[in-house]
Amino acid sequence: MSMILDVATGGVRGGTSILYAGVGETVSERAGVINLGTEGSMLGGACAAYIVAAETGNPWLGAFVGALVGASLAAAHAVLVVRRGANQFASGLAVLFLALGLTSLFGASYVGESITPFQKFAVPGLSSIPFVGPVFFNQDPLVYLAYVAVPLVWYVLFRTRIGLLVRTAGERTEALAVHGYKASTVRMAAVVAGGFFAGIGGAHLSIAYTNTWFENMVAGRGFIAVALVIFASWSPLRVFGGAFLFGAALALGPALQARGYSVNQFALHVIPFVLTIVVLAALGRRTISSAPAELKRVFENAPADP
Amino acid sequence: MSEVTTASAPIRDRLAAAWPHVVRWGGAILGALVIFGALVAFKGANPLEVYADMWTSTFARPRSLTEIAIRMAPIMLAALAVVVPAKAGMINVGGEGQILLGAIAAAGVALLVDQTLPGTVTVALMIVAGMLAGAAWAGIAGLLRIGFNVNEAVTTLLLNFIALDLLLFLIYQPWRESAAAQPATRELAGAAKLPTLGATGVHVGLVLAVIAVIALGWLLVKTRWGFRLQVVGGNAEAARRSAMPVTWLLLSALLVGGALAGLAGMIEFAGVEYKLRSGFGLQLGYIGFLASWLARHRTGPVLISAFALAALSVAADSLQLDSGLPAATVNILTALLLMAVLGWTTIRKRKP
Amino acid sequence: MTPVPTPILDLGRFTKRFGEVVANHDVSLRVMPGEVHALVGENGAGKSTLLKMIFGVYAPDEGWMLVDGKEANPGSPAEARGLGIGMVFQDLRLVPALTVSENIALALDTGFFMRMDEIAAKVQSASDEFKLGVDPKAKVQHLSIGERQRVEILKVLMTGARLVILDEPTSVLAPQEVDALLGVVRHLRDQGLGIVIVTHKLREVRAIADTVTVLRGGEVVLEGVAPSDYTDDELIEAMVGKAVPPLVAPRDAVVVAETPALVLDRVSALGDRGHVALKAVSVTIQPGELVGVAGVAGSGQRELCEVASGLRKPTEGTVRVNGEAVESAHDAVDAGAVSIPEDPVADSVVSRLTVLEHMVLDGRPLPARGPGIDWAAVRDSTDATNERLGLNIAPRHRLLSELSGGNIQRVIITRELGIDSTLVVAAYPSRGLDAANVRRTQELLLAARDRGAGVLMVSEDLDELMALADRIVVMHDGEISGEVPAGKFDRKALGQLMVEGAHA
Repeated sequence: MSMILDVATGGVRGGTSILYAGVGETVSERAGVINLGTEGSMLGGACAAYIVAAETGNPWLGAFVGALVGASLAAAHAVLVVRRGANQFASGLAVLFLALGLTSLFGASYVGESITPFQKFAVPGLSSIPFVGPVFFNQDPLVYLAYVAVPLVWYVLFRTRIGLLVRTAGERTEALAVHGYKASTVRMAAVVAGGFFAGIGGAHLSIAYTNTWFENMVAGRGFIAVALVIFASWSPLRVFGGAFLFGAALALGPALQARGYSVNQFALHVIPFVLTIVVLAALGRRTISSAPAELKRVFENAPADP
Repeated sequence: MSEVTTASAPIRDRLAAAWPHVVRWGGAILGALVIFGALVAFKGANPLEVYADMWTSTFARPRSLTEIAIRMAPIMLAALAVVVPAKAGMINVGGEGQILLGAIAAAGVALLVDQTLPGTVTVALMIVAGMLAGAAWAGIAGLLRIGFNVNEAVTTLLLNFIALDLLLFLIYQPWRESAAAQPATRELAGAAKLPTLGATGVHVGLVLAVIAVIALGWLLVKTRWGFRLQVVGGNAEAARRSAMPVTWLLLSALLVGGALAGLAGMIEFAGVEYKLRSGFGLQLGYIGFLASWLARHRTGPVLISAFALAALSVAADSLQLDSGLPAATVNILTALLLMAVLGWTTIRKRKP
Repeated sequence: MTPVPTPILDLGRFTKRFGEVVANHDVSLRVMPGEVHALVGENGAGKSTLLKMIFGVYAPDEGWMLVDGKEANPGSPAEARGLGIGMVFQDLRLVPALTVSENIALALDTGFFMRMDEIAAKVQSASDEFKLGVDPKAKVQHLSIGERQRVEILKVLMTGARLVILDEPTSVLAPQEVDALLGVVRHLRDQGLGIVIVTHKLREVRAIADTVTVLRGGEVVLEGVAPSDYTDDELIEAMVGKAVPPLVAPRDAVVVAETPALVLDRVSALGDRGHVALKAVSVTIQPGELVGVAGVAGSGQRELCEVASGLRKPTEGTVRVNGEAVESAHDAVDAGAVSIPEDPVADSVVSRLTVLEHMVLDGRPLPARGPGIDWAAVRDSTDATNERLGLNIAPRHRLLSELSGGNIQRVIITRELGIDSTLVVAAYPSRGLDAANVRRTQELLLAARDRGAGVLMVSEDLDELMALADRIVVMHDGEISGEVPAGKFDRKALGQLMVEGAHA
C-alpha cells in the first residue's frame, strides 16, 4: 500500500513538469502550431531558474525568469513558423538545438552549485485526508500553482474571447481575418504562452524536483508532453491526468528500487516512452480526427517544401 | 527535383535566377554568424578571435581535414535517412535511434564472429546487420503510421529514447566488458575494423557514404520508385487515385531511410569508435536531420551541408580547447544557421 | 415633396488589375434600400473581384464608392462591416468544430468574458426575428449546407448589416431549399435592407431580383435593368457574348448489353466521418448510356463515385466494372474506368509536379524506359490527346499547382477522357469552367458515351443533367430515392426526390 502511495506522490511530483509543458503545448496546438521545441523551452527554463535561484536565493524569481526564457525560445519558433512559414517540425528541433547550446554555454559554471530550492509544505487540513492528502497536498508551491493554472487555462480557452480566438486559429485561420483579427498575432501569442508554461515546467524540474542542473537534464520530458497533448485530445483537463500518469511511470523505478526489488532500471525508464507509443496507437485514427483542423493539415502535409 | 524540368535556358538567365538565392543564403549565414559572435562576446571571449581560431584549427591543419572527412560520413548517411522519407512527405526524426540500432546490430554480430571469421566477411555481415536493424527500427514507426495513423515525427522521436535505453542496458549489463572501467563493450578485433584509405587516415566508411549519396540521388530522380515517392509526398490522395500503392511506398521510404541511418551507425562503430559506449553517436541523428533541411532534402547539396556541419563539429572542439567555451555551444551556431535557412531562404506564399 | 431615397451602395468607375489581367474595368453599381439586385455573369466575369473590393479585401485601382451617400473606402473586411456591409461567402466562413453561438460571437463585440448563455439568447431572438430557424447550441459541422448558410446570414445581420451580399448562394442547394432561401431574401428586402445576390442562374434572377447587372469580361454589359424587360436569350447573350445554343443530346435507345459498364449491387459504404454514406444502393449503367446523378450535396454522390472507381471499399455489396469485380483503384483502372474527381485541386494536384508529369497519373502503369519513365513518349501522347480533345490545356512544363481551378480541371479532363475507357465516373465535371469549355466537356462526355462507354455523371445543375442524361438517378440521404428516364424529366418532381426522398 505504501508503495502505491510512494508512486502516486512521486507521480504528482515528477509529473508536474510534464503537466506545465503539456498544458502550454495544448494552447499552442489548439492554435494550430506544434512545438517540438517545448523540450528546449523546458531546458531553458530549468537552466535559467537554476542560475537565478543560485544567484539570488529566490526560487520564485527563478521560476519566473525560467518562464520568460521558455517563452522567448518559443517566440523564436513562433516567428519562424507563423511569420516566415517554416516547417513546424524542423523549426521546433532547431529551437531545441538552440536551447541545448545556450544552456550549455550559460549553465556550465553552475553545475554542482547549490541553491535554495522550493520547499514542500503541507496544506493545512487538506493534507490530512487519507491517501489524497499526502499525495496531492504535501507538495511544493509550483505543484499547487499547477492545480490552479490548469483549470484557469481551461476556462480561458473555452469561456473567453481570447480562447475563442485561439481555437478559431487552430480550426480555420481565415475565419479570424474575416472578422478583423490578425491570425498571426493570435497564433504567435499562443505559442509564446506555451513556452511560458514549459519554462515553468523546466524550472520545477531543476529547482523543486531534482534540485540539480546538468546538461540535457530534461531527457525527453518535453517530447512526452507533446505526445501527451495528442492523446489527451487537446483537452487541458485530460492533460492534467495524463501528466500524473506519466509521472507515476517515471516514479515507479525509484520506488521499486527503494524497496529492494532489483528491477532493470533501463526497462523502467523506457516505460513512459513505450506507454506513450502504445496509447497513441490505441487511440490512433480517432484521435487524429478530433484534432484542431489546422493542426491536422500540419500532420498530413508534406514537409517537402523546405 | 524532377528531371522533366531540367532548364535548357541560357547560362546568363540561370545565373540571374540564382542570384537572389545567393543573396538570401549569404545574408542568412551572415546573420547567424553575427548573432553567435554577439553571444560569444557576451561571455567574455573575442568573437573575431574565436572565429579565427575555429577557422584555422579546422581548415589549416591537415589533421582537422581528416577529422572532417571522418565526421562527414555518418552525417551524410543520417541526412539521407531524412531525405528519402521527406520525398514521400514524412518526417523522420528517428535518426538517433536508427543509428544506435544499426551500431548495436553491427556490434552484436561482430562480437560473435570477429575473432573467428575473416575481416572482410565480418565487415560484410556488419553492414547487412546494421542496415537491417536500422530499417526495422524505422519500420516500427512506419507500421504505426500505416496501421494506426500515428504521425511518424512523434513516434520516431520517442523511439530514439527507447533506443538509447537499449544501448545503455546492453553496455551496462550483458555486453559489459569490464566492471571496473566505464561501461562499454569490448573493442572490435583489428581485422574487422574498417580499413583506412591509403595514408589519409579516413576509413572506407566515407566511400560507402558517398556511394549511398550518389545511388540515392539516382534512385530518387531517375527511377519510377523515386517518381512515385514524389507523388505520394506531393499529394497522397492523388497518388491513391492513380492506383499507387501508397502504404507500401510510405513504408519503403522509411525502411530505406532507416537502413541508411543503420549504416551510419555501423560505420561509426567499425570505423571510429570500435566499441559501444555511453554517448556513442550522440546527436548524429539530429545533425543529420539539420543537414537534410539545410540541403532542402536534395541529395547533391547534402554533400555540402554535411561537410559544413562536420566542419562545425570539428571547430567545436577548438572552441572548447582554445576559448574555454563548452563544446555544446556550437549547437547555437548550428541552430541559428538552420533557423536562418528555414525562415529566410525559401520563397513561399504563406497565410498571415 | 417626397425625398429621393439614398442608395445604400453606389459605386462607379471601379477598375482592378492583377498584373496584366484586368479583372474589373469601369464598373458601376447602385443598390437601393429595399431592393434585391442580382449580379450576373459567367465564371471568370469579374463578379468575385468586384465583391472583394466592396468588402474591403482589395482596394480598387480606380473608382469611387458611396455607402449611404457617404464616401467609403473600406481597407479591410472589418471596416466594411463597420459600414454596414455584410457578405455571405460561397465557401462559408464558419468554423465547423465550433457551435453556432461561438461562430457568431466571433463577429460580435462581446468583451473579454463571454457569457455563452447570454449570447445564445441573443442569437435565438435574432433568429426568430428574421425567421431563420437557427439553433444556437448546435455545432456547425452537424448542420446542413442550407442551415449553415442561414447561420452566416444571421451573423451578418447581427453585426448590423444593411447591405447583404450573397455570393452564389444557391449552387449547393436543392430547389426547395433555394425557395426557402429566396423567401428569406424577400423578408429581408421587405425590412428595408439592400440585397445583392450573385448568381449565374437566370431562373433565380427572375424569381427574386428587382434589378440585374450583367458583367462580362470584367465590364458592365447591362446595368441595373429590370429582368422583366429582357428575354432569357438576351440575358444569356449579355453574359456570354454570343448565344451558346443549348446542347441537344441525340439519344439512341439504350441497349441492355451482356456486360454492363457498371453494376453496383446493394452497395453500402461508410463516409469519411464514419457515418453510413450509402445504404444498399443498386445502380446499373449500360455501355453507351449516360446516367446523371442528382442530389443535394452530401447525399452520398461522392461516395457513390468513389465506390465505382474503387477508391472506397463497400461494407456490403459488390461493384463490377465491365464485368470485372472492383475492390481497389487498381481493379477499376484495369477494368477500364476513368474518373474526374469532384475536387481536383485537393485530390489530383501534386505539388511541384508539372502538367506533363500529371499526365502519367491516370492509374495505368508508368510508361517505362529502363528503370525510369519514358517522358518522350508521354510528351507525344499528351500533345496528341490535347489536339484531339480540344480543351487547350496549359503548356506542359508549367506547375499544375500554379494554374487556376479551371485550367486544372481541363488538364484532368484531358487526361481522363483521353483514354479509351469502358466507364467514365465524372463528379461535377463542369465546375469552374467557362461556358465554352463546359460545352466542350459535355461534348466529350457524350462522345465517350457514343463510343460505347458508360458514363456516370454527378452534377448540381439539373438543367445540365436533363440535357445530357439518358436517365437521372436521384440520391437522398445515402439512398436512391428515384430514377427518372429521359422522357419524363420534371424539375419539381426531381427536386422533391432530392429533398424529401422516396416518400415524396
